[in-house]
Amino acid sequence: MKWDWSAVSDFMPHFWDGLLVTLQILVLGSLISFALGLVWALLMRVPTRWVTWPVGAVTEFVRNTPLLVQLFFLFYVLPEWGVTFSALTTGVFAIGLHYSTYTMQVYRAGIEAVPVGQWEAATALNLPLRRTWTAVILPQAVRRVVPALGNYVISMLKDTPLLMAITVLEMLGEARLFSQQNFQFTEPLTVIGFAFIVISYLASLALRALERRLVH
Amino acid sequence: MAPPLQPLRRFRETSGPSRRSLLAGVAALGALGAAGCSRVPTAAATGGGDLLSRLRAAGVVRLGIAGEIPFGYIDRNGDLTGEAPELAKVIFKRLGVDRVQPVPTEFGSLIPGLNSQQFDVVAAGMYVNPERCEQVIFSDPDYQMLDSFIVRKGNPLGLRSYQDVVEKKAKFATGTGYAEIAYAVEAGYKEGDILIVPDQVAGLNAVEAGRADVFAGTALTTREVVKKSRKAEVTEPFKPIVGGEPHVDGGAFAFRPTETNLRDAFNTELRKLKKSGELLRILKPFGFTEDEMTDLTAKELCGG
Repeated sequence: MKWDWSAVSDFMPHFWDGLLVTLQILVLGSLISFALGLVWALLMRVPTRWVTWPVGAVTEFVRNTPLLVQLFFLFYVLPEWGVTFSALTTGVFAIGLHYSTYTMQVYRAGIEAVPVGQWEAATALNLPLRRTWTAVILPQAVRRVVPALGNYVISMLKDTPLLMAITVLEMLGEARLFSQQNFQFTEPLTVIGFAFIVISYLASLALRALERRLVH
Repeated sequence: MAPPLQPLRRFRETSGPSRRSLLAGVAALGALGAAGCSRVPTAAATGGGDLLSRLRAAGVVRLGIAGEIPFGYIDRNGDLTGEAPELAKVIFKRLGVDRVQPVPTEFGSLIPGLNSQQFDVVAAGMYVNPERCEQVIFSDPDYQMLDSFIVRKGNPLGLRSYQDVVEKKAKFATGTGYAEIAYAVEAGYKEGDILIVPDQVAGLNAVEAGRADVFAGTALTTREVVKKSRKAEVTEPFKPIVGGEPHVDGGAFAFRPTETNLRDAFNTELRKLKKSGELLRILKPFGFTEDEMTDLTAKELCGG
């Protein structure tokens, strides 16, 4: 196996472009999935079937179909009905939506793990429903689930290369394009492999720090 | 009203590897990977290779194709066809190899796949150009071809050449690993602005959806793919400018650089087919005409 450092330096400008796109997807996708997941989880607690059944059906559908198929559908089929977004927008939305159906379950577990005494205390103090949620239940529920949410950030990072299928040039896309034009595969793929390790390790450190802050 | 502290703290201490053990693990993995990378033998490097005799013994040759109509594709019945595979079937039969086996892949993966032994010949009507000649060796071209654009119906931007694309600031798309990338860059289009799509169908889709104004490909591929479209059309075929000169491309079969014996045997049979006019008869069903027949050689197209 030959290792060519000049291929690495030729690849680096493309690498930075790809890294920027990957981080954009990761950050925006995480924000969407965290926010949307909470919305789903709260909607599932509305005490009427008219809400819980449709929300349940939609989220189960999204959760049980592959992300790659959803990407293809949003990118190649929706434009037939006149709905066109850029590749990056489509990708961020798809990955955020997909992961929101996982984070929804995480939030649900967190909410259900709040001791029933907390609810009873809120009722005894005659707190309105809004304040019960925002001041009593959610602060406790969210703290419990931060480690689990962190897992999904790492998982999402590793799913970002799927967006290559809809022409988004994230790290793997840039590496593949560079490889095909220069016929050098080892160096770019190794570089992005290491980048994935570094980013996910840094992300897990950041999340652990966040956990520590939230506990105290 | 913080959650119970004790259980959480215990959880954190036991969860996940420590920083040091994680780094040690990464280092160990790296060492394993380096040890596992033994060299793949790239055939007998001396004497022009013995692939032909090995193919004869096996009775089957693996053809790399890119799913491009009409060059090399799998038809509705699931059978391998296209100008290049059909021609390969005839020539390899004469060379004493009875069966061909298709290996479909993306266009951009054809040369890497050939060099990593995933198939024996690229039968995708691949253009011969200097960059590719550094990686593989080519037979003489079996056809010559002009470029053409897929544009929206009526060609609203009036795009007829790569210069037009640059001047009108149109959004340009083409396929992964296509020769058209270099043509657009030579005309002055910024490489980073090119939309790279997986194949011509995705290219047509990009034009129809308005993500691109124009998709460049060979005259034949683009003509075939817009047949199914109501929103897009194809421009008159034209010669791209390469090195300041109008350029005609030729498509050929690619072999691994060590297999010159096989390439030469292939060329001999190809020349016979050209001479007898059988070549046109084989290519005709795929839309090729007398205009696409050529006497260009791989050497001319490789640039020396």
